[in-house]
Amino acid sequence: MREVIKLGSILLLITAIAASVLAFSNSMTEGVIKDVEAAASNEARKEVLPQADNFNSIEEDKLSDIQQQNNKILEVYEGFAGEELVGYTIKTATPGYGGNVEVITGISVEGKITGIKVVKHQETPGLGANATGTDFQAQYIGKPVEKEVVVVKTAPTEDNEIQALTGATISSKAVTNGVNIARELFNSMLSK
Amino acid sequence: MSLLKTFKNGIINENPVFVQLLGMCPTLAVTTTATDGMGMGLATTSVLIGSNLVISLLRKVIPDKIRIPAFVVIIASFVTLIDMFMHAYAISLYNSLGLFIPLIVVNCLILGRAESFASKNKPVQSIFDGLGMGLGFTLALTILGIVREVLGVGSVFGIQLFGAAFKPAIVMILPPGAFLALGVLIGTLNWFKNKKAKNA
Amino acid sequence: MENKLLASSSPHLRSDETISRVMLDVLIALLPATLASVYFFRFNAIKLIVLAVASAIVAEIICQKAMKRPVTVKDLSAVVTGLLLAFNIPASAPWWIPVIGSAFAIVVVKQLFGGLGHNFMNPALAARAMLLASWPVIMTNWVSPGADAVSTATPLAIMAGDAGSDAILPSLTDVFFGNIGGCLGETSAALLILGGIYLLYRRVINWRIPFMYIGTVAVLTLVFGLGFTDMTYHLFTGGLMLGAFYMATDYSSSPVTPLGQIIFGVGCGIITVAIRLKGGYPEGVSYSIILMNLVAPLLDKYTRPKVFGEVK
Repeated sequence: MREVIKLGSILLLITAIAASVLAFSNSMTEGVIKDVEAAASNEARKEVLPQADNFNSIEEDKLSDIQQQNNKILEVYEGFAGEELVGYTIKTATPGYGGNVEVITGISVEGKITGIKVVKHQETPGLGANATGTDFQAQYIGKPVEKEVVVVKTAPTEDNEIQALTGATISSKAVTNGVNIARELFNSMLSK
Repeated sequence: MSLLKTFKNGIINENPVFVQLLGMCPTLAVTTTATDGMGMGLATTSVLIGSNLVISLLRKVIPDKIRIPAFVVIIASFVTLIDMFMHAYAISLYNSLGLFIPLIVVNCLILGRAESFASKNKPVQSIFDGLGMGLGFTLALTILGIVREVLGVGSVFGIQLFGAAFKPAIVMILPPGAFLALGVLIGTLNWFKNKKAKNA
Repeated sequence: MENKLLASSSPHLRSDETISRVMLDVLIALLPATLASVYFFRFNAIKLIVLAVASAIVAEIICQKAMKRPVTVKDLSAVVTGLLLAFNIPASAPWWIPVIGSAFAIVVVKQLFGGLGHNFMNPALAARAMLLASWPVIMTNWVSPGADAVSTATPLAIMAGDAGSDAILPSLTDVFFGNIGGCLGETSAALLILGGIYLLYRRVINWRIPFMYIGTVAVLTLVFGLGFTDMTYHLFTGGLMLGAFYMATDYSSSPVTPLGQIIFGVGCGIITVAIRLKGGYPEGVSYSIILMNLVAPLLDKYTRPKVFGEVK
């Protein structure tokens, strides 16, 4: 019995020291991590809505309302240039070939898509993973929000068409579905 | 054993990956690029040096019966430290290594060195053992990363090597490529070793 | 014509059967389909077949010399591997695809595991899987038969809905005789069946694996597919005939016991249909055979016939 107590207290001592060391370093890094994370997501939002220089999440009630109607919407941010509202960034998650593809879509208040960015995916390297390439993502810039964006296999002829990635139709469609969800959300709730 | 010998032992004679086949999970999973392989290796090295030092210092305090839980707590603390600092100061590497940073805890290389070296040797020697083993691990992961990145992406440390005519073999950055590359590397090393042994 | 088949345990049958004779039979059986692929895909087919066979032979010679083993190219097994690999490549592939594929098949899958008879997977199929994972765009760039070689989709891809709604299925006659898009050797079901019948007649292969395999695919696509027409497309398109007669029957990577062979064939069929109907790829023959190759030793272990009088 006495041995158990002895062993237990030694282990307790070791864990206590470890815990305090970790608590101390956590307090040191916590702020930095938060800043780094915030900067990274702001960076992504700025890429898809270059006119804006600061972003605010829309009110929580409104967001949960939106998410109740469509659970594929993850985040909605308002983008401001100074004080003026210039557009929105909408993060969506749509099923692709290897799981959900998370896309941030930027839409200006005038109703044009200002850019998209694939931020998270598990698509096949060399095929669907090419959706993160700038060539593919640049196709969406300037598309009007009124018309549904569609994926075609050959060079686009209409202004609402996107050329699919070679051999990765499913991934291309997943990205486009995300953009379309963002577009519909803008049309139904945000534009007024 | 002299310090230099301890150091060299970890890098060459008892290389954790190529000779002892320890820590196969990160070896196979995160070596898709040279940068990732090297980053993983260095993260493991710092944990290994830290845990080896502390365990060696405490080797007379920790009773034999609870040594494994004590070792694990010490190792886990160092891994959590590394995890926090990488998250704060090396975010891109942190994102690409992902889940495999916390998994350093269960890297059998670290517990193996704690059990077989640090708990029986003096602190300075344990540091050198950790450094040698860690750098041996880093070296192996970097080589594997270079091979896979060159063949699978056509670049090394992110720098493009070939023109557009080179069509990289994507299989090399997929899981089967890891097994193929590791198998061929170990086979080649053993072949050299056998040849040397025969000539000697 | 040296290299008598080695019998490991009794009964020690005396036979004229040699490895090279067996391999020669396979080549004869594949000849009509080879000629058809040349007819359909012209110079591209000749180029790819010659490159694949030549690199397989060269790789075997270099590898066996380097490993100080007797050079056994005369047994023709490398030629068969090279030819089967070429059959698994689309006609539009560049020259280095068959070269890399053959080298991988011979060096990594066959020689590193001990040479003929020791490979745990069908070398040509393992090489195809490697090529498909490495260069998915090149390996799925089908062209239609003929000199102009326009880009097209395989019938299976059309059925899986991958090719867009405007693509129409080719007629069943075209499908049966091979006037469709696909790999070099998987287009003409009729000629592959002809070769298969020759192999059955020569007793190079027995009926169990191909019949159980094709039968399982037929039953399952009839039940889970959309009826009889769909079933016939599933049977005569893609690599099913090629796989069932020439690949799944590879001696060293399939079971030897009769019951084992039946289970092997059924297993291949189930996996093929699962991949075709539910999976991400429109075609699953090569993966199903590779997967069943891996369990072949287990099948042999558990289906070994009892010795007379044995008590468990």
